[in-house]
Amino acid sequence: MATIATMSPEQARARRLRRERRARALRHVILLAWTGFIVFPIFWMVSTSFKDSGEWISWPPHWLPHAPTLHNYAQIFAFSKIDPTLSRQATEQAFSIWKGLGDAVLVCTTASLLALLLGTFLAYSISRFKVGGKHFRHTILTIRMIPPIVVAIAILMYYAILIPYASTSLLGIRVSLFDTYVGLILIYTATTVPFVIWMMLTFIEEVPYTLEHAARLMGAGRITVIRRIVLPLVASGMVVTFLFVFILNWSEFLLALTLTHPEVTTLTVLLNKFQSASEGRLYGPQAAIGTMITIPVVILGVLIQKHLVKGFSFGTIRK
Amino acid sequence: MARILIKDLVKTFGGFTAVSGINLDVRDGEFLILVGPSGCGKTTTLNMISGLQSPTSGQIIIGNTVVNDFEPGERGLGMVFQDLALFPHMTVFENIAFGLRVKKVAEKEVRERVSAAAAAVHIEPLLAKLPRECSGGESQRVALARTIVTNPSVFLMDEPLSSLDAKLRVDMRTELKGLHKRLKATFVYVTHDQAEAMTMADRIVVMSKGRIEQVGTPLEIYNRPATQFVAGFFGMPTMNFLEGTVEVNGSGRCFRAAGLEQPLPDAVPAAVADRKVVLGVRAEHVLVGNGGALRGTAQLTEPLGDMTLVYFDYGQKSPLVAKVGPATPLQPGTPLSFGFAAERCHLFDAGSGARLF
Repeated sequence: MATIATMSPEQARARRLRRERRARALRHVILLAWTGFIVFPIFWMVSTSFKDSGEWISWPPHWLPHAPTLHNYAQIFAFSKIDPTLSRQATEQAFSIWKGLGDAVLVCTTASLLALLLGTFLAYSISRFKVGGKHFRHTILTIRMIPPIVVAIAILMYYAILIPYASTSLLGIRVSLFDTYVGLILIYTATTVPFVIWMMLTFIEEVPYTLEHAARLMGAGRITVIRRIVLPLVASGMVVTFLFVFILNWSEFLLALTLTHPEVTTLTVLLNKFQSASEGRLYGPQAAIGTMITIPVVILGVLIQKHLVKGFSFGTIRK
Repeated sequence: MARILIKDLVKTFGGFTAVSGINLDVRDGEFLILVGPSGCGKTTTLNMISGLQSPTSGQIIIGNTVVNDFEPGERGLGMVFQDLALFPHMTVFENIAFGLRVKKVAEKEVRERVSAAAAAVHIEPLLAKLPRECSGGESQRVALARTIVTNPSVFLMDEPLSSLDAKLRVDMRTELKGLHKRLKATFVYVTHDQAEAMTMADRIVVMSKGRIEQVGTPLEIYNRPATQFVAGFFGMPTMNFLEGTVEVNGSGRCFRAAGLEQPLPDAVPAAVADRKVVLGVRAEHVLVGNGGALRGTAQLTEPLGDMTLVYFDYGQKSPLVAKVGPATPLQPGTPLSFGFAAERCHLFDAGSGARLF
């Protein structure tokens, strides 16, 4: 018979508790360090957005503004020509975010909805009709692996030169997608559809075939089956996917920079323009605009938290 | 009129033949059960009747109409699925009402018919609940109510009881049989559970490897299996099989195998003489004790309450099994004598498995 270790049960218990405490402490230290690493830039951005220009790059750094001001926000939310008191660091540029905000909301919402609609139906057909064969889903995702820089210039050529040239020669009217809402929406839709297909495939495949079979046997056509059975069951997934794609579009910079301006200006492009001849980069208004860009994403996230958890956890459809 | 006629039905998936040219006549109002092991083609056959899968060739005739090209919803069928397929986002009421709503039945009539269907399977208190709030048995009833509400003339059922526990399954068997009597509709039911097939069916279709092995009443299937496969598939425990030859001496017939000799009835045709055959005998027809001519040793006993199964060795590689009374004194290692009830022995061709006697 094997001998039991010499320590008493109390000692063993104390040792176990000691080990658990140590592991817990270590876990917390690592998590806190990681949180600090992630949160610091956001804190710095928010803090800077309330600093006056003198404090932006002061040394030693001012962690919190010594003289908090809403000046930066007043500047980015200005509706008209900038008040002389506000424009002291600025050139004649009106640093209003309204145009950028409007454009970003319009482009990102439309493109995300379009991608969601197209991607969901494509995912349905890939799942149910095996469109494209067994490995099609992977092929689709690899399309998205191409870095945007590779296609940006090619798309620019199409938008600014080839399409206008072709339309002029063939139809006699000049059609250009460069610096247009349609152009940017199209490219955003195209680049995010693979993600939508990939994500929606996971959700749609959670819906058992037999539900659709049952509905069809009761006389429902394909469209009714999709509308009344499939879509309600993947609604959470659609919300999650929309949010994911919206955030991708909302933070996209390279394509917007290449294919637009000055007519269409998204927030990320606008953010890049905050410079003045006299003071260089305008960190204050940039921080304020950065904060404003972040807020909708956070609000959206909080609002749909329930769906996010449901969407990412799956397993809610099968009983 | 809900007679279903299946003619030369074939279904292939790539190079795999799931159903290879079956012919079947399901009578109006009949409770027909398709039974067989996994992959035998029974669910594929059901799916082709329902229209969820298209036949590669052959015809399906419901009533007098060839329905091959009809949509599933146009065939006047109701189906209960293995996983029940209740719509998880709809209440029980909406689940039952779905088929009526699709057909745009007036709201007042929807309410009346849903209530009647719910009453028929005793689930009125569940109407406001979601499927996930129902127990296994309740969900089963909801699925039935959803099927009967549209008054189909044919009910298709794909292993609907397989997810239930053993006791509930037995209860539901009785209920389904009662429902069939009340509705007088044609039921085509798929299962791999022989007990379900034996207890509920008017006729059983035994399938294997995409073919029909036998069609018959439960007792025909049990007492006169057409093939060795059917004989082995039905009955608990599995029928005893012994390979050997039949000797014919004048009017006497005798089965010979290694270490064993068994007289057979005179009715065994003389043509089976000197052929390789398989003798099949059910456990209840193995007579233990009673001065049987053969000798063996008990290896294992399995008391089942109303009887005991005795597995015994008789000097060959596979043991035999016999059913004996519950109070048997046999213990592992006890020597015993045994014989077979000659009239209840079955003979199958050792090659094709076809019944010889």
